[in-house]
Amino acid sequence: MKYQSQKIAQNFYTFAALLFLVQVVVGIIAAIQFIYPDFFILNFNTIRTLHINALVVWLLVGMMGATYFVVPEESQRELWSIPLAKFQFWATVIAVTAVVLGYIWMGIDPQANKTVLGTLLLNEGREYIEAPRWADLLIVVSVLLFLFVNFMTMLKSKKWTGIQGTLLAGLTMLAIFYLPGMFYTKSMVKDQFWWWWVVHLWVEGCWEIIAGALLAFMLMKTINAPRHVVERWMYVEVALVLFTGILGTGHHYYWIGTPAYWQWVGGIFSSLEPIPLLIMTWDAFRNTREYRTVSNKIGVFYAVAHALFNFLGAGLWGVIHTLPQVNKWTHGTQITTAHGHLAFYGAYVLLVISMIYVTLPLIRGVSEFNTSRGYRSFWWMTISMIFIVLTITGAGMVQTYMERLLGLDYVAVKANYNLWFWILRAVFGVGFLYGVWLFVVDFFKLGKEPVEA
Amino acid sequence: MDNKGVRNLFIYGSLFFFVIFLYLTYDTMGKLDKRAPEITENVNQGKMVWHKYDCIGCHTILGNGSYFAPDMTKVVENKPKAYLKQFIMDPKSVNPNASMPKLGISSEEADNLITFLEWISKVDTNGWPPKPILAVAGTGQKEQAAGQRLFLSMGCQGCHMVNSIGGTSGPDLTHIGSKKDRAFVFSFLKDPQAVKKGSAMPPVKASDADIEALTDYLVTLK
Repeated sequence: MKYQSQKIAQNFYTFAALLFLVQVVVGIIAAIQFIYPDFFILNFNTIRTLHINALVVWLLVGMMGATYFVVPEESQRELWSIPLAKFQFWATVIAVTAVVLGYIWMGIDPQANKTVLGTLLLNEGREYIEAPRWADLLIVVSVLLFLFVNFMTMLKSKKWTGIQGTLLAGLTMLAIFYLPGMFYTKSMVKDQFWWWWVVHLWVEGCWEIIAGALLAFMLMKTINAPRHVVERWMYVEVALVLFTGILGTGHHYYWIGTPAYWQWVGGIFSSLEPIPLLIMTWDAFRNTREYRTVSNKIGVFYAVAHALFNFLGAGLWGVIHTLPQVNKWTHGTQITTAHGHLAFYGAYVLLVISMIYVTLPLIRGVSEFNTSRGYRSFWWMTISMIFIVLTITGAGMVQTYMERLLGLDYVAVKANYNLWFWILRAVFGVGFLYGVWLFVVDFFKLGKEPVEA
Repeated sequence: MDNKGVRNLFIYGSLFFFVIFLYLTYDTMGKLDKRAPEITENVNQGKMVWHKYDCIGCHTILGNGSYFAPDMTKVVENKPKAYLKQFIMDPKSVNPNASMPKLGISSEEADNLITFLEWISKVDTNGWPPKPILAVAGTGQKEQAAGQRLFLSMGCQGCHMVNSIGGTSGPDLTHIGSKKDRAFVFSFLKDPQAVKKGSAMPPVKASDADIEALTDYLVTLK
């Protein structure tokens, strides 16, 4: 670590690692509720909200931590203001905790979710962006503070690198595209239309840009690939992500009451969305073969795995049901759940973990550390996730065939025909939890144990 | 191309696609209101109920949501409203096997919610959800008894199952003929409340002759 202020990244990583653990624990509760709906004091809707919100927040917090590490490194100076960065961290922790407590309160007493000043107090009841309006405002303030600290750091150094610029562009867009989720519309069609602006343009737009910039940084740091090569490919990748991804939003506008031309727009552009992901995978493999001076093997390992599973989960598992002719039958089934799990695991979970493995040893000032637990964690998580995704894909195929094509009842298909898929999913969920546990232990112990020969 | 060129391609290319996206959004916004019925105050109140209880945390609507419970887009077309209201307010009192918990939804909230669900069922969704292939093929069968045709056309299958096809809201009728006699079935169809107090089934609104035919069909299911 070259700059003291980069240490702040560790705070964010710690919070991210703990939320990851929470996310997977509640995920297992949700999986059991598919078999026993009355299992646990909180209903499925609350558990599911916690599962997904914890995911979104820990990934965001992880990316913030990574950014606080990357920006001083690229700007070649300390962060503009450490107290402000620290304040931003604690404000985020407090806001997130308050929101979670609100969800739990509402889960125990649904009537507590009252309308105050025209908005719901504890839970907005909109998937993924359930956080109430007061929390939205706190999130915006937190993101703006975060942007401000990083922007000032870059401005003071007057050193503009491509990685920095791209990272900043992705983060600025992240703040901007949160706004379409912050107003109420009386029409459920318009509600879902703008909701996809936030959800799709975050995940398949801004987040992929941030991922592209972080991947470029890691390739440069861990295998000493030259900057101009890494940056050129980064531009190509993020450009293609946006060229396909922006209009690819159309694949959410097939059946929600929007005009039929979206089927053409969404069908064509979202079919092209896997291409940049394939290039990223190829790029990661090509670079690691070409520049063999690897300084952090496990970091590169996770980075390459991220590229590969981003392509498999977001690309392949997405493209199979993206054409309107197919989506007509699969829309709203477990096929989407399967895609969601593999895509988030590949595109973002592995990305944040690889950033942690690349930067944490530098923060702790160790050049060598034990990696065996990190690799074991990877295999437990990855093999479990592959089987989780296969069981949900199987359940989705059965559901599509029996419910959508044959016309059997939803409840009958879920309770009878898919029962074994739910049981197996819960079992593999426990396997995944073990992998996460290994990662969290490794996170706290990294660099603090004697290095084995 | 040098790095600056690729960077500019990224910036201006993305802007180009975003401008197209903005135009399509503008065009869509102008068309949405014509593709759905008018939104009354009750529809809006119902939508607020939908949000208040975080219904999307379990259900899907327009196919988006949590996949844990059935899609609600067309639910009013398949279930009688009186049944829906009773179910929404206290699910397990109507269907002991229901997974849905009692959330404390008031009578007024339930009415508004159903008004909202009626609104959403009339939105032009480009034909989604598609009619299941078997259901479409099945209605074309020949040699059906008059009662069987009524059973299908009146939408009894929205709640009741016969030979694995149909809903799970009401009892499975596959073997109803060996459980209940003709007199019971006839009087139950005419006025469920008189036979079984608190039943969520609405009276069958049809002529006596049609109810006779329906009864004839049901008692053959053994």
